[in-house]
Amino acid sequence: MFQAIVSASTLRDALDSVSVLVDECKIRLNEDELAIRAVDPANVGMVDLTLDAAAFESYEADGGVIGVNLSRLEDIAGMANTGDLVHLELDEETRKLHIQIEGLSYTLALIDPDSIRQEPDIPDLDLPATIVVEGTHLDRGIKAADMVSDHIGLRVDEADETFHIEAEGDTDDVDLELGRDDLIDLSAGPADSLFSLDYLKDMNKAIPSDAEVTVELGEEFPVKLHYEFGEGMGHVTYMLAPRIQSD
Amino acid sequence: MGNAALRQLAALSEVSFDDLDGRVVAVDAHNWLYRYLTTTVKWTRDGVYTTSEGEEVANLVGIVQGLPKFFEHDLVPVFVFDGGVTELKDDEVAERREQREKAEEMLADAQERGDHIEAARLEARTQRLTSVIQETSRELLDLLDVPYVEAPAEGEAQAAYMARRGDADYVGSEDYDTLLFGAPLTLRQLTSSGNPELMSLDETLDEHDLTYEQLVDVGILCGTDFNPGVDGIGPKTALKLVREHGDLFGVLEARGEHVEFADRIRELFLDPPVTDEYEFDTDVDPDISAARSYVIEEWEVDADEVERGFERIDDALSQTGLDRWT
Repeated sequence: MFQAIVSASTLRDALDSVSVLVDECKIRLNEDELAIRAVDPANVGMVDLTLDAAAFESYEADGGVIGVNLSRLEDIAGMANTGDLVHLELDEETRKLHIQIEGLSYTLALIDPDSIRQEPDIPDLDLPATIVVEGTHLDRGIKAADMVSDHIGLRVDEADETFHIEAEGDTDDVDLELGRDDLIDLSAGPADSLFSLDYLKDMNKAIPSDAEVTVELGEEFPVKLHYEFGEGMGHVTYMLAPRIQSD
Repeated sequence: MGNAALRQLAALSEVSFDDLDGRVVAVDAHNWLYRYLTTTVKWTRDGVYTTSEGEEVANLVGIVQGLPKFFEHDLVPVFVFDGGVTELKDDEVAERREQREKAEEMLADAQERGDHIEAARLEARTQRLTSVIQETSRELLDLLDVPYVEAPAEGEAQAAYMARRGDADYVGSEDYDTLLFGAPLTLRQLTSSGNPELMSLDETLDEHDLTYEQLVDVGILCGTDFNPGVDGIGPKTALKLVREHGDLFGVLEARGEHVEFADRIRELFLDPPVTDEYEFDTDVDPDISAARSYVIEEWEVDADEVERGFERIDDALSQTGLDRWT
């Protein structure tokens, strides 16, 4: 049993954060929250999302699992205006999801959850540095790095207590330095890792610009990016595997 | 090459590259390189694939263009090179050489006529693993830190043996004969753009209710690299006959047929010359810049042909996976 009403913008934020990594996913319809965990086929980027029941106008679920085609669902959610409410109801018999938006009815065929890649185990990470940064700063650093390279470095200078978003190109280099005053919070530790910009750009696209992003970082370790949406009742954690730094 | 009749009997399924993550595939090096030598050269000018001295370098282009696919899917290749030619195969080698010489004549002819398409087609057929190709292929694999093993005789047999011992998860070859060499699982179409095809020995045997020895006998009746097969016996008939008469010799006796060296051909599949003397390291750590200068400077390959391949190799190998931390 699943029946819920949610604002179109909350639903879109949730779907966007997952669709940057995978085309299909399993959605767990738990009693107290909706949960998605997925990893991209190359095992490089992972998303772990929960949306509390309180984020919905109404929410009733009993622990079922459905499989969805994300771009199809995003297209439907895209038919709604920002303030619209989306009604979702699962038909257990036909395994279809009935979606209603302002008089528009859409019946979405679901995918057999067993045919979707298994949900990944969450890496066991104890990362030494934590940086809390405004989404706009992260966005600026990523844009700058993208001008010169395919890779992006995230680094903490422990002595200066600064966070660096940097990139080395064939000819040009960029470095965005964020000090304590620019950051919401910084817990310094040894942290310097290189990442594929393609992945980070995609993840960044899903992060709302007004979000606070908690970045957990180590030395040649995966990075964890955590942010909230849906008025603090939606939680996303991205994990991205590092690139080995050559030379 | 190989035994296409076996395709009708083989248990085949498509497998996703994503499911091969972290696996090891023992690739029949000759078979793999041959694909690149025949397809790379096709429809193009031969000047691009030879040095100013006239040495062929299409194998180097093939290696650089073919390897990224393995690494991007975290599938580790171990190339298995053929050793000395098996005695029984001499006939076929001689025959291939004859065919090649004929094709070379036709090629010269086509070139004279200015028939470029025909010439390109014939050129693909005249490709062979020269001693330079043998040597440069190994040298490039060394620089890229890609493991390879020297087989005492047939590369396919050695690859199948390594897979049976569990040192490789799959054999990589286009050749259906890997079934007859007892390869438990063979990946085909590793050089094509789509997903590979998986061929399972156990499933093949189950499907036709055969023992492995009987499958070898069916193969010999249809023809293998080592014998031409018995006239008028296709895979379905061979299957029926082997089931009815128990084995190859029963079939031959009942039909009054003869397969020359039948005993020895059987032995070549059931107990081929293979070696335990191999070791390889699946942790690949290439020296990309050395490999690049080897291919582009030393062997005069146009940088445009290989730059993208080197970038893809570098990219695939420096990106870690999250599974390392779970």
